[in-house]
Order: sequence, then structure tokens, then C-alpha cells
Amino acid sequence: MQSRTALFRIGNTSHIASCTNRGLDNFAGAEHPENLAEISSLEGFNLATLIEMKLPDSGAANTVREPSCCVNPDSWVDLHGDCLYRYALLRVRHPEVAEDLVQEALFAAVRTYANFRGTSSERSWLCGILKNKICDYFRRLAHEVSFTDLEFLEDEMSHKFIDQGWNHDLGPAQWKPDPEAVLDRKEFWETFRSCLDKLPQRVADVFMLREIEQMETAQICEALKISQNNLWVMLHRARMALRECLELNWFERKPRVNAETDEHRR
Amino acid sequence: MPRPMSIADRSSSSPAENPSPLTGRNWFERLLVGFIDNHTPKCREVIKLLSQSMEVKLPITTRIKLRLHYLICAWCQRYEEQLRALRKIASSFPERVDDCCPETLPDSSKERLKQALRERTPE
Repeated sequence: MQSRTALFRIGNTSHIASCTNRGLDNFAGAEHPENLAEISSLEGFNLATLIEMKLPDSGAANTVREPSCCVNPDSWVDLHGDCLYRYALLRVRHPEVAEDLVQEALFAAVRTYANFRGTSSERSWLCGILKNKICDYFRRLAHEVSFTDLEFLEDEMSHKFIDQGWNHDLGPAQWKPDPEAVLDRKEFWETFRSCLDKLPQRVADVFMLREIEQMETAQICEALKISQNNLWVMLHRARMALRECLELNWFERKPRVNAETDEHRR
Repeated sequence: MPRPMSIADRSSSSPAENPSPLTGRNWFERLLVGFIDNHTPKCREVIKLLSQSMEVKLPITTRIKLRLHYLICAWCQRYEEQLRALRKIASSFPERVDDCCPETLPDSSKERLKQALRERTPE
């Protein structure tokens, strides 16, 4: 299936030591508000963001408990470097930026190590700091990036409609197998990620914050300095594009004539 | 150039047009389908509203219109189900990062980071 292979451009899938986000999302501050307050005041973080960016369900199943006797940044890099990097990379997409953010986070960690009480795993603590660095990065970006992405999809999807109604041949197909059943498939997540990668950066950021980080719309508007209406438009387009991409590349459906729209999405 | 949608416009079925929704229906169904068609938003608008409904609760009148629209449009109904599926998929994504993200921090960067950190670590 041509369109499917086109999407799979994340070649090498060498296995890397397990690092699930469950562990990452469970960071020190979340369990111990006093830690949080200290980190936040020292670093000039926005406390509200820290709390709200935490995802629910902070099972500690996969966290590595480290004795917190002395600060050893070398071991941070060895033990958690890849994990932090991947975490950042998925959210910001540029390797250099991801690396810079990891560095910023580690520097901040060195400065605030005294406040880390070892009550949570080192990894989740580091990740909490990284999350803030990422959020700050999105904020900085809000001033620098224009919204050219908004034109995205307007024409691309028009062939799917006739007189504002779905073209009967191209309307949404029944998804088979059931989406619930594919959540355990590694290949599915590879497809999902490459679909995310195809979105214009800005639209992807918005979708990421809303649906993956599950931030409230008001917070996203505030962080990215956009109007609610603008946010809705971007979310609508992100969903439309992702739905389309998943349908074409994952859920069984015959490839169509105008299906390859790669060039437009870049 | 988009034409205003009316049932009459869609009666023929050349490749660029959908078959008329009225084909093979009795007079009552025609009346009903025509009514719903004229009084509910068009699909393009419906999917915008559906996306919006993932963020805020839509006014009751809008929700009724969407329900009515589903009576004549299986695609939009499917679209809504898929938006919900997409939300579920996206929220499971963080747990599955390892499955789709094989990248690692290059060794050279690790060394650089360690060096930079050593300089900053207080004794």
C-alpha cells in the first residue's frame, strides 16, 4: 500500500530501555505541594501551569528510584538523557531545540537540587522541570511565529465536499478494526506519530497541548496568545487532517486518486 | 464556484455529483429529507460544529439540528464518532511514546551536556 509506506519514514526502530511517560508524568511537585512551591519560586515558574500540566493518573510503576545522597548530573544524562530528549522531541519536533531544552532543564535541576527530596523518582522530577521548559518555549514561540498555517487544509479538503455536503465516495469511512482494538499495536503509534509530523508545526502544537497534554482551551489561548476562535479553527483543522491521515494510512481503505497530498501538507 | 444547495440541483448523478438523496423514496420521506436538508447546517459546517462541541457544550438548538442532520447523513455521524476516537487515541499517546519514538540523544551531545553540567555543579 503506497500511501502507507510513504508515511513510515521513521526508519530504525532499535529498542531502547523502557521509559514510559506514566513515570515521567509523576513528578515530585505533584505529590508534594511544598516541593512544587519551592521549585516554582526558585525558577520563576508559573505555579498554575506546573499543576495543570500534570496529567492525571500518576502511577509510579515504571519510575526508577534513585538514592538522593548527592547530586550527580553525569548519571542524569546516562540514566534519563534519552528519555528526556525523546519527551522533548515529541513535543517540539526539532532535535536541536529538544537538546537545548533538555540542557536548560538539567541546568535548572542542578540549581534546584537542594529542593529535591527524593520523595519521587529522579526521572519524574527532572521531567517535571523539562515540562516547564517546554511550556516556556511554546510561550516564547507565541511571539515569534505567524499564523500562515491557518491557510492549511482549506483547499486540500475541498474535493471531499460537493455543495458543502460530503462527496458520497470520499466521506468518512467506517474505521475497521475498531480504534479501541489498535491501541496496543506498536505500528499504529508509528502511523499516528507520522501523521502528527505531517501537520504544520503550529497546528500540531495546538493539537498536542489540547489533546495530548490535555490543557484547557483557555490556558492554551493564554500561553500561545491566540484568540479562542483561532484556537478552534486550528483544532478543527488538526482533527480533520489527523482523521484523514489515520483513515488513509491505518484503517483499511482503498487508496484513492488524489489521496497523496504530502506536498501540500509540508 | 459553489452553487447554492438544493435538492433539484443534485438530482442527476454525473461523476462530480452525489446521487440525489431523494432517489427511491416515497413522498413522505422526500418531504422529510427535504425539510431536514433545508433546516440543518451543511456537512462542512456540521464538522466545524462537531469539533467545537469537543471544547464547549453547544446550544440545545444546535444539538437538535445536529441530531436531525444525522438522520440524513451517516458521514457526519461517523465523523463525530471518529473525533471521539481521536481524542481517546491522543490521550493514550504519552503512554506509548516508546513505541513510536526510537530517537536517542547522540553520544556527542551527552558528553557535551555532562561537561556543561560539571562546570555548573556546585561542589
